[in-house]
Amino acid sequence: MIEVSTDWYLTLAAILFSIGFLGMMIRKNALIMFMCIELMLNSVNLTFITASKHFGTIEGQISVFFVLVVAAAEVVVGLAIIVSIFKKQSSASVDLLRTSRG
Amino acid sequence: MENLLLVIIFLPLLTALGIKIISNLVNELLLNFLTINSALLSFATACGMFGLLLTDKFKPIHLELFTWIPSPEILFEFTLDGLSGIMMLLVTGLSVVIQIFSTSYMSKDENYSKYFIYFNVFVFSMLLLVMSGNFLVMFFGWELVGLSSYLLISFWSKKQSAAKAGNKAFILNRIGDFGFLVGLMLTLNTFGTFNYEKVFSEVLNGNRESLSIIVICFIIGAFGKSAQFPLFSWLPDAMEGPTPASALIHAATMVTAGVFMLVRISPILQFSETGKLIIITAGLLTALIAAFSAINQDDIKKVLAYSTISQLGFMFIAIGSGAYVAAIFHLVTHAFFKALLFLGAGAVIHEMHHEQNIHKMGNLKTKMPITAAMMGIGTLAISGIPPLAGFWSKDEILASTFANGGFYYGYWALSLLAAFMTAFYMGRHWLLIFHKETGNDISEVHEAPKAMVRPLIVLGIFSFFIGFINTPFFHGLEKVLEETLHYVDITHLPEGITLIILAVVSIGAGFTGLLLAYLIYIVDILAYFKVKIPLKEEIKELSSNTLYLNKFGEVIFVKGMKSFSRKTAVVVDGLLIDGLVNKISSLFYNSSQKVSRSQNGLVRSYVVYFGFFMLLLIGLFIATPWVLN
Amino acid sequence: MLELLLFAVPAGLVILGALIVIFAKNPVHNSMGLVLTLASLAIIYITLNATFVAMVQMLVYAGAVMTLFLFVIMMIGVDKPEQTREEIKGQTLLVSGTLFILIGLVSFIVVNSGFKWDLYFPAVEYSLEGTPDLIAASLFTEWVLPFEIISLLLIVATAAAIALAYDTKVRKPK
Repeated sequence: MIEVSTDWYLTLAAILFSIGFLGMMIRKNALIMFMCIELMLNSVNLTFITASKHFGTIEGQISVFFVLVVAAAEVVVGLAIIVSIFKKQSSASVDLLRTSRG
Repeated sequence: MENLLLVIIFLPLLTALGIKIISNLVNELLLNFLTINSALLSFATACGMFGLLLTDKFKPIHLELFTWIPSPEILFEFTLDGLSGIMMLLVTGLSVVIQIFSTSYMSKDENYSKYFIYFNVFVFSMLLLVMSGNFLVMFFGWELVGLSSYLLISFWSKKQSAAKAGNKAFILNRIGDFGFLVGLMLTLNTFGTFNYEKVFSEVLNGNRESLSIIVICFIIGAFGKSAQFPLFSWLPDAMEGPTPASALIHAATMVTAGVFMLVRISPILQFSETGKLIIITAGLLTALIAAFSAINQDDIKKVLAYSTISQLGFMFIAIGSGAYVAAIFHLVTHAFFKALLFLGAGAVIHEMHHEQNIHKMGNLKTKMPITAAMMGIGTLAISGIPPLAGFWSKDEILASTFANGGFYYGYWALSLLAAFMTAFYMGRHWLLIFHKETGNDISEVHEAPKAMVRPLIVLGIFSFFIGFINTPFFHGLEKVLEETLHYVDITHLPEGITLIILAVVSIGAGFTGLLLAYLIYIVDILAYFKVKIPLKEEIKELSSNTLYLNKFGEVIFVKGMKSFSRKTAVVVDGLLIDGLVNKISSLFYNSSQKVSRSQNGLVRSYVVYFGFFMLLLIGLFIATPWVLN
Repeated sequence: MLELLLFAVPAGLVILGALIVIFAKNPVHNSMGLVLTLASLAIIYITLNATFVAMVQMLVYAGAVMTLFLFVIMMIGVDKPEQTREEIKGQTLLVSGTLFILIGLVSFIVVNSGFKWDLYFPAVEYSLEGTPDLIAASLFTEWVLPFEIISLLLIVATAAAIALAYDTKVRKPK
């Protein structure tokens, strides 16, 4: 009988985070990069919830709640930025934006 | 009450600042008003303080302004005793007289206000020096007078020679200051304090370890400031400065700072026979060399400069033979008659339209009778003719030297020779300027303006009578200095008939000198009797070049140092330091050029960098315990 | 067995959705993959006794946020295919390097620990259930200050979004 243990969940979170990070690195579309950020945030949420169960405390879930709110706020602002980028160059590709070039 | 000392000391500084502020707004008249009245106020306060001192039997007045350095505790303190009281009166009094003279002498100079700023800064520094309560404050004033002297020497800085003379004075003074500084360090190391009285009581209580070396260091300092052999060649060059400034700084006060300082440390000095011997020997050498050089100078001011050096030599002879009162006495009388002579020379220069060669003058007494008379008083005073000031002080020095006995008889005889030479060259000086019929065109010359003549008259009166403050019949100055020198061995004058014989001898030397000058330069006795002096030209050359000491110093020290520093500049500074700095800066420039290429502005690159190095970091965390175990 | 199934199926869906997010060409497909991931995660949350969070996840993420994403996708258009050719010099190499290090690290950990991770859930079942009342009891007592501050953050974000999206050119009177 295989027991589903804490580390399974943590491994899932790690995989999810890695996929999100990989997406960040290889995709040019700002929107999809944003989705990857959401993936990573969710992997963190999963870690929190797993920890909450593992230690039997409610604080992990409270943190998830806050992360959710921050993520929502971030999505709102981020999408507005993407829209204005698109207005400027009629493409959402981040490679065309080089204003922070040294 | 002692807070009035602050008024005396800081009033000149405030005046300098005030002049700086208002100089662009007002004309010369208001500026004169400000500076002379503040000098008068300072002098009046000084007189009041001296009176206070007098009623209190010259008990020292102390004023502690603030703690300068907490550990070891060094206060910014002032002391007013008989010694500093006399110097204070001298400085503030002469400052008034000379500033009045300057208003006329310097008028129409484009840097009129600058002159008075420097002048007041000098007065402030000198007062700080003489009224200091410990060695460090004295050193502070000591350096400041050096600075203001430098500023005033190179006052006409557009003249190459003036700028050079200022540098020379400053550099030669540095040598002396170095000695002083080492002396200060040794003092602190030995006694743990800078306060005069604490140091002196330590010495008197028998703490005399490394005393000689301290004394010698201080002596080097005094030699630099007071232009003694071998550090004297800056003083004749210092005559590039304005004449009234020369009168105050390079005749009356600053150059006597060395004498003042040695008298101040006399409680230490009396235990060092070596130090005293060095002082008297150097003083005698200086007196003789300078007097010898003065005989063949053609510049009206340079004669006086050499004469100043020579007279300072006399003061050092006095200190060396333990006659501290005589040294201070000669300092005071010399201040008056030398200031008089300098101001008189200034008046002559002013009227001759800045002609300084005495051979181009002659018979000026018909045109400038008052100046001539006052200069005559000065000349007689310095020659030691009774009852003028110089006689009393110089006679006291000679007699004190004689009184020591032993090999001091030799010193006495040589000093007498120097005194004789003094009378000779001063006689020549006066006669060539004011008496000799030369046929030079002097029809344009007039008597100097009132603002110049009146200070001359004041100083003339003082030069006549100031000697009476300390005669064998009335020991005024000795009483003033009694409290300051009460634990010092003072050489006293010989008694009775010896004193009278010595006085007669020195009067004789003075008269002979003057007479010889008259016979040689006016009557021209040498030509009349067809006397041929062997090696006359060579001696003349030697004299007018100060035994070639100046040239010798230039070749050895200046030239060698110059070529050495030039090489240093190229190799050390140019190749090593500059090269290193340039190399480093270009290294940073190039590397930053390369590094900035990684800042390509692409978000995804940054993400990759971030991930890459974060993973490396995590790897490090994982690997560290694994590697360590 | 049911427990294992309840973990394995949603976990597989989560990974599948994530891979769709990063590899699909069409932005609409990407966002659908994200919805899949988020919904599967909600299931996992429920198995982890976090019912309230699961509900909020569904409502906020899969509901509101994804609607916003889709809205923006519609707004900026999906018809422009993305350039797939890598243009940044060295990017491919660095990505591969990063992945290599990641795989290396994971294998190291796995091998080093000998496949034995002793992280089991406590044997004793806690009565802890992420019910709304339990969360509210903690949130409105202990965490009330951060809660208030986060509301401020939401207002600021709303204002920022309006400011960013507002087209200043339209304001000019004709």
